[in-house]
Amino acid sequence: MAETALDAVGHGTQSRREFLHILTIATGAVGAAAVLWPLVDALGPDADSDAAGHMIVNVAAIAENTAMTVTWNGLPVYIRKLTAKQIADNEFVVPGSLPDPAGYTDRVKPGYESFVVVVGLNTGTPCELEGNDPSDPRGPYDGWLCPCDGSVYDPLGRVRSGPAKKNLAIPHFTFLNNAQIQFG
Amino acid sequence: MSTEVKPSWTASWLPFISNWQTGLAAPVLVKEAPYLAILPWLVSVGVIFLTLSGLVLAVYYSPAHAFESIQFIDRNVHNGWLVQSFHETGASMVFGAAYLALLRGLWVRGYKAPFAAVWIWRMAIFGLLLIAGWIGFTLSGGAMADWSLTRAAQAALLLTGAPGAFGTWFFGGPNGAGTLPRMLVFHLILGVLVLGGVAAANSARKAVTPVPPRGAVAFHPYYTTQYFVALSVFALIFAVLVFFAPRFGQPFLNLVPADPLVVPAKLLFPWYLAPLSGLGSLLPGIYGGIIGVVGGLGVLFALPWLDRSGPNYRPGALYKFLTLVLALDVLGLGWAASTSSGLGSVLVMVFGFWYFLHFLVLTPLVTAMEAE
Repeated sequence: MAETALDAVGHGTQSRREFLHILTIATGAVGAAAVLWPLVDALGPDADSDAAGHMIVNVAAIAENTAMTVTWNGLPVYIRKLTAKQIADNEFVVPGSLPDPAGYTDRVKPGYESFVVVVGLNTGTPCELEGNDPSDPRGPYDGWLCPCDGSVYDPLGRVRSGPAKKNLAIPHFTFLNNAQIQFG
Repeated sequence: MSTEVKPSWTASWLPFISNWQTGLAAPVLVKEAPYLAILPWLVSVGVIFLTLSGLVLAVYYSPAHAFESIQFIDRNVHNGWLVQSFHETGASMVFGAAYLALLRGLWVRGYKAPFAAVWIWRMAIFGLLLIAGWIGFTLSGGAMADWSLTRAAQAALLLTGAPGAFGTWFFGGPNGAGTLPRMLVFHLILGVLVLGGVAAANSARKAVTPVPPRGAVAFHPYYTTQYFVALSVFALIFAVLVFFAPRFGQPFLNLVPADPLVVPAKLLFPWYLAPLSGLGSLLPGIYGGIIGVVGGLGVLFALPWLDRSGPNYRPGALYKFLTLVLALDVLGLGWAASTSSGLGSVLVMVFGFWYFLHFLVLTPLVTAMEAE
């Protein structure tokens, strides 16, 4: 009778066997997962691709009124340093009057307002834009001009006229300090 | 559990799952099969594991920069060192299980009728594994591997007639920029062929295994525990090798990148290829090497006919003793082929001679004697 009483509260051979059963299956599952995880993890980006995807660019050397081109994720990215006049001209433009409404603060990072970082591809006909160098043709807004379909962008990368209807895309990036930005 | 007439979702859309479950629960297996009968199953599990890890390696491996790309995998790919070690050590484990399965097959005479077809298929798997193992070794791009490939390709160029044409087709001329890419393709194809051989051997085994009329048991639950224990032991040895001896059984000179101007004093192979390389060096000349390797594997294929005893005969003491001597002989052959001392070449001759003597003379003689 004592045996039966123990069985009733879960101390018998049967419940012990079930516990071992569950324990074994659980341990086996953990082991199988631990073997399979490296195979899955290895197919993620390797260290080189990872570093290229989180590229750090030094922007301290960019002169005012010019832009540098870097390749990130296979795209040409323009990093432009604005002049005081270009900021003044574009700071208070009413967003509603633009083809693709966007305010000044939408296009620059707070604290680093003189830098504009955009993907340098025309949003109409996919074509690399001109205007990084002060001697390039830049159009009436002193920004960028598309040599293929004539779309005109202002220095903040907002479309002003032309077949293109969208502003230039802004890649994902953060300022690490005054001199460095990190993509990704 | 449920009394609903409506079939379950898996039954209507994934019927193979219920087929599989009823297959596992069907009482078709003999009671109390020996633990070591699991060895061929462990080879299959190992081959599937090698396929998975090999597919991951193939994503990053570049035959044009073989050695550097493996360094890249080891250093720059997340968990790449582990996946690379999985593949390298996994090959050792598969061959360990395959050699043990082979020894057990000899011990219990697993090649006798009606299992001759199963034996032939398993030997085909073994042969394909050895070729895939050698090609995988050459893919490492180390000094030993590259010189092994160079010698093989040069030998193929010296052959004439049909063997020469096949050799030139296989290696594509002397070892150069185009050789390792085709070795990679052959390695992948051989992996698929091994999987096909496993399927063929399984179906051959099912075709000849008699369904025990009384006292038969199902795989689940009667054998699941046994298989789980065997796999755990297998995985434990594997884990120890992966984490404590990742280069187990590999010639250490293979950790140096290949240099066409530095020739190794003696070609060394991974442990699982060493006995066969010993057989290949028994006879002089290129054809001597081919005869040694092909003959060494051929006698295994011919075993069902070399054994002169009847189907119901149980192995005798002398045969079992000779089988154990053969196991030691193959171990000695592998050791002698991997040592650089002068004694090695003499011992290779002795052990290689005994290998062929065992299969071609002693096996027919002793089985015929004991069958009387």
